[in-house]
Amino acid sequence: MSARNAIEETAAYWLVRQGDGLSGEEQAQLDAWLNAAAEHKTAFWRLEYSWEKAGRLSALRGPDTLVEAMAETTPSASLRRGQPRWAVGLAATLALAVLTSTALLWPRPAHYATDTGERRLVALSDGSRVELNTETRLRASMSPDSREAWLDEGEAYFDVAHDASRPFTVHMGDRTVRVLGTRFSVRREGEKVQVLVAEGRVRLSGPKSGPAAKPVLLVRGDVATGMGASVLQSRTSDQRVDDQLAWRRGLLVFDQITLSDAAAEFNRYNQTQLKVLDPQTAAIRIGGSFEATNVEAFVRLLQSAYGLEIDHDDGIVKISE
Amino acid sequence: MVEDGELKAWFFREVFPLEAALTRYIRRNWRNENDVADLRQDIYAKVYTAAQRQLPLNARAFLFTTARNHLINTAKRAKIVSFDLVADLEASFPEAASADLDRQLTARDELRRVQAGLERLPTRCRQVMTLRRVEGLSTKEVAAHLNISVSTVEQQVVHGLRALTNYMMGGQGRIRRSPSKTPAAKSESQS
Repeated sequence: MSARNAIEETAAYWLVRQGDGLSGEEQAQLDAWLNAAAEHKTAFWRLEYSWEKAGRLSALRGPDTLVEAMAETTPSASLRRGQPRWAVGLAATLALAVLTSTALLWPRPAHYATDTGERRLVALSDGSRVELNTETRLRASMSPDSREAWLDEGEAYFDVAHDASRPFTVHMGDRTVRVLGTRFSVRREGEKVQVLVAEGRVRLSGPKSGPAAKPVLLVRGDVATGMGASVLQSRTSDQRVDDQLAWRRGLLVFDQITLSDAAAEFNRYNQTQLKVLDPQTAAIRIGGSFEATNVEAFVRLLQSAYGLEIDHDDGIVKISE
Repeated sequence: MVEDGELKAWFFREVFPLEAALTRYIRRNWRNENDVADLRQDIYAKVYTAAQRQLPLNARAFLFTTARNHLINTAKRAKIVSFDLVADLEASFPEAASADLDRQLTARDELRRVQAGLERLPTRCRQVMTLRRVEGLSTKEVAAHLNISVSTVEQQVVHGLRALTNYMMGGQGRIRRSPSKTPAAKSESQS
């Protein structure tokens, strides 16, 4: 456990105990701990910040919150002794008002797009988040009973908030991905579609007609590539999943792929296009991690480490031996 | 010397809302994902110490400049990052400092985020957190109600609070649990 982890855990313990009331002696201990290091104090404040925000939920809780929380232990328990019934009703009304206004605010699909080399984080109204990679177009529509998104082009990483009553569907042409709450990325190039699952499970359905009409269930580490009527499914390691999602950090991570594949990846992110001239050079294996938009650094490396010829020609970089 | 209460209000108002953007900035410029949370804690501590002398006028610029300097220094000390990366970092002013990257969450977004964060917790942890924080029961009452020990409730809330914080601030909502079951507060507070 890192020192940071230990500090955060200690801060959390103190915060939880403080909520139940500290004795004078305990308070003195806490003050001493807080004053011992700037790291202690900022870690404590940071947790306190979200603890306060979590407390605001209590003002909004509907009658369901508790029922849900208790569902798996004591179904008939009631904790609302001593609380007037009208208060419960009021909370429910408030919660309903919030839901209704949300629906009114999101009647039509919202459009999101990125340019070459751009990335964008989109917060959807249901609490889900979507990260758009370079050259991507996405539409999303959230309503009280469904959550839908359309990937028209490019690549996106979905972090879907769990909601069993409203499945989240991503449409990619005639294929769809359906989830309840999980993390996965999808990439679309024309009719070629790739789905990578980082956590949880998703259901990929093919075109309605055709042999692949039966949905495929994908779990963590699964990669499915669909083209035409067929779907190719494979498994990959956690490390490879991380590498494939490195674009979320603005990086490209290559594990001994060919230079021509590496060049094609860079070309997605940059106006400057790489072109490999001869087959021997195209077959050179490349490994390492690179800044996606720093094509110049990559070219410098090819020149200095691999001794390749580089020729700049009006936005095109020609690479040869 | 800026008073602590004022400093805390400043962190709540100006600094913590930028955490998602700060984390993305660190992640983009640092190869090892495991270091991100540690680096962030260092940066907060540096910001705190500097702001004690005087509150910076522009919190965003100050936070990201501190972050950049800290990354450069750490990379130079560690000698594991390529010189190229350090040079790039030095040349570019943090892009994240432009307001575009992080959208300020409205109060309603925030509540939804809390709710989504709670739903991500393991079942027992979620029950405990909901009873303790949303329903407002004390630790003892939660323990009696679920028929579990007070220390179990504490552990669950500690874990739940950390995971929830991580998620609300833009993380994945996952926390490495400490291998030892001993409350860290006990051992730490001895010294």
